[in-house]
Amino acid sequence: MKKTLMILLVLITAVSVAMAEGTVTVYMPSPAGLANKLAADFEAKTGIEVRTFQGTTGEILARLETERENPVADVVILASWSDGLSMKESGQIESYVPADADKVVPGWIDEDSMLFGYSASAVGVIYNTLIYPELSADWAELADSQYQNDIAIPDPELSGACKDFVAGYVNKFGWDTFEALAANGMVVPGANRAALDAVTTGEVGILLAGVDYNAYSSMAAGEPIAIYYPESGTVVNPRPAMIMKTAPEMENAKLFIDYLFSEDAQKMVADAYLLPGRTDITNTNRSTLDQIPQIECDWDAMMAISSESAARINELCAR
Amino acid sequence: MRNRLPILLIIILSILIICPLLSIFAEAVFPDGQFSLTQAIDTITESENARMIGSSLLLGLLVVIVSSAIALPLAFIFSRTQFARYRFFDIIFMIPFMTPPYIASMGWILFMQRRGLLQQLIPSAAFLSDWFFSLAGLVLVMSFHVFPFMMTMMKNAMLAIPSSLDEAGAVLGARFPLRIRKLFMPLLTGNYAIGALLVFVKTISEYGTPSTLGRRIGFEVFTTDIHRYATVAPIEFGKSASLASLLIGICLVIWMLQNYITMKKTYNIVGGRSSASRIITLKPAAKAICWIFITAVIFFTMVIPLFSVIASSLIKLRGYGLRAGNFTLNNYILVFTEDRQGINALSVSIFLAVTSATIAAFLGTACALSSRKSRLVEGIALIPEMLPSIVLVLGIMLFYNRIYKAVPIYGTIWIMVLSYVILFLPYTVQYVSSSLSQISGSLRAAGRICGGKPGYVFRHITLPLISRGILSGWMMTFIIAFRELVTPSLIAPTNTLTVSTYINRQFEQGSVGKGMAMAVICIAFSTVSLLILNKAIAPEKHR
Repeated sequence: MKKTLMILLVLITAVSVAMAEGTVTVYMPSPAGLANKLAADFEAKTGIEVRTFQGTTGEILARLETERENPVADVVILASWSDGLSMKESGQIESYVPADADKVVPGWIDEDSMLFGYSASAVGVIYNTLIYPELSADWAELADSQYQNDIAIPDPELSGACKDFVAGYVNKFGWDTFEALAANGMVVPGANRAALDAVTTGEVGILLAGVDYNAYSSMAAGEPIAIYYPESGTVVNPRPAMIMKTAPEMENAKLFIDYLFSEDAQKMVADAYLLPGRTDITNTNRSTLDQIPQIECDWDAMMAISSESAARINELCAR
Repeated sequence: MRNRLPILLIIILSILIICPLLSIFAEAVFPDGQFSLTQAIDTITESENARMIGSSLLLGLLVVIVSSAIALPLAFIFSRTQFARYRFFDIIFMIPFMTPPYIASMGWILFMQRRGLLQQLIPSAAFLSDWFFSLAGLVLVMSFHVFPFMMTMMKNAMLAIPSSLDEAGAVLGARFPLRIRKLFMPLLTGNYAIGALLVFVKTISEYGTPSTLGRRIGFEVFTTDIHRYATVAPIEFGKSASLASLLIGICLVIWMLQNYITMKKTYNIVGGRSSASRIITLKPAAKAICWIFITAVIFFTMVIPLFSVIASSLIKLRGYGLRAGNFTLNNYILVFTEDRQGINALSVSIFLAVTSATIAAFLGTACALSSRKSRLVEGIALIPEMLPSIVLVLGIMLFYNRIYKAVPIYGTIWIMVLSYVILFLPYTVQYVSSSLSQISGSLRAAGRICGGKPGYVFRHITLPLISRGILSGWMMTFIIAFRELVTPSLIAPTNTLTVSTYINRQFEQGSVGKGMAMAVICIAFSTVSLLILNKAIAPEKHR
């Protein structure tokens, strides 16, 4: 009996030592499928176990705040560049120069080399093709009475991409459009996916500022929706990966960042209908970066107004 | 040893239950280590929160009214008319209770939303949608969940009124309406008041429905605000704790009120000689009306949400809805095959349910046994039942975050086990206490006289007699813990989804079809467990 126990103990120790190549804890937003694939591939390549927490940008920021006393996260990925900038401003982020940094899209690594835009999404207008066979209206034109009570927007306090768009649009054009849209009966059905679901089922016919990668994957599955980028432009927001200053596993965190810019990881990004962060990897399954009309972005100004603008959208649209 | 057990238990329970509650008060009134009521008062009087408090109380009141309208007629039908014979309704009316509120409200949302299932079946019903996505819909869905509590309570109260009273009234010439007014109603007001207060507390404590349907219509209540301040950036634990303290206060006042009513307004009518209640034989027309009412209640509280959840789990492309050729079982397969999350969520939930039910069974039995020596033990052990679970979980979160250096279980699965044990301890305590109260002291005395040592008597007399109580407590904890939503949505560690958070996440950010497939699995699992539980306790009734 004692012998078996001893053997068992030795075995357990051996297994846990073999497993203990280390861990890296990564907080990342949707799409969950991509997050899981990246984690599994990184584990297979390095033997380092990836512990993930998946949530919306709002939930991730909240979790970091809760754990401030006892930091857990090594790498944090957000869907909002402006939120990334404000984390950097509050001094939480470690600087690092990743391998392959020269191949990254210009501007997708900030000047302090703290925010790594390993992928990006853009928001567009997504519409239900069973209700609107054709649509190409510009943002402001959707305030027209023919679309009354049939328009929605993702909750910018939950969706980082939508938050950045609102900040960028308001910074450039002011509040008139959103006020008119709200007056035209615009609703806020929830985070990105819930908002997309509302337009897919036809609960509303049109979704403004819906993230594009979600739409492309639903379209590929055969859902009756389509997407376009209005001509006055949209915001392409790089999704920043960042290393926490308080990372318990700093070396593994850096390895994970290197991995995110590796060719394999970038191909997975492209397969998930996101815009890849490297210039030498391109999408074949969606609009590419140069095909998307963009609003000129002043990220510092946007960061300053993004949170209150997001809250304002929810106030405007509250019933 | 036997005298030390109650003291040991009081210490354990204080650490488990009282300390987290104190942390809430501490967070509320000691914002920077200094006593100050300003934060708490500012939070409560902040116009937004004041409005929220008003709407929580209004919601509670409306749900009491609507669920009374459903429960009172049913209680009468099932206690005093020939419908009392149909015992299978007892099981049927457990279905709304077995369907977790968050799943039922998702079902309702999918059914009622614009171009949702209802409009696909009956396009002209479009006008109902706007009406449903308002306070009215929220009140209905919540009433549909809680009415069985009131129904069961009132049914038992009505059954307890001896027919002799009714007959005496009839002999003295009082007609049926007069007997209802002068006899039934005064005898039942106490019970009704208790039932109404219970429904009220359950409503303002509920998190599932407000977090799904309530959020859709922008209707904030206590529980959703406490959750939001504690989980969405910017985090404000102080505000969360202030609201939680107020909610604790409201619940305590209601429980005291209930206690007062129990003492003053309930009549001791059990124990009269003729307790067999007379069954009214209904005329065909009245019987038909009863059938229509029962069918309508079953249709609205069970058929619609279940239909909606099951249909949504089978739809292939959501854009095309209910349409021939657009059905698939693929969502069920995807839950298990697309990634590890589905299987992980199921195994985490089963693990949590089994561990917490087992620990609670040991701790709860110990509490029930020592409550004969010290009422304090039972008093503390039953606190979790009196308070909203979100309040306790918030307390646990604050307390274990604070003592992380000494006891580093925050952020691990063990804090969830701990939280489940605390939340569901009252089930075991109550089941075991009730089987203990049925054991006559003479049995134990006989054991002692025959020379059994206390341990022997316990093992051979007490334990076998309370084993059913322990088993029932274990199963009940298992069923409720399996689908628990509040704990995992506040303190689940990284990488950890449970069935409830999986469903929520799929509903809000993933695939609705997959979420609803998991919901169907969850309901089926609960129902089967409940049937086993019923089988397990059934023989006791015939003894």
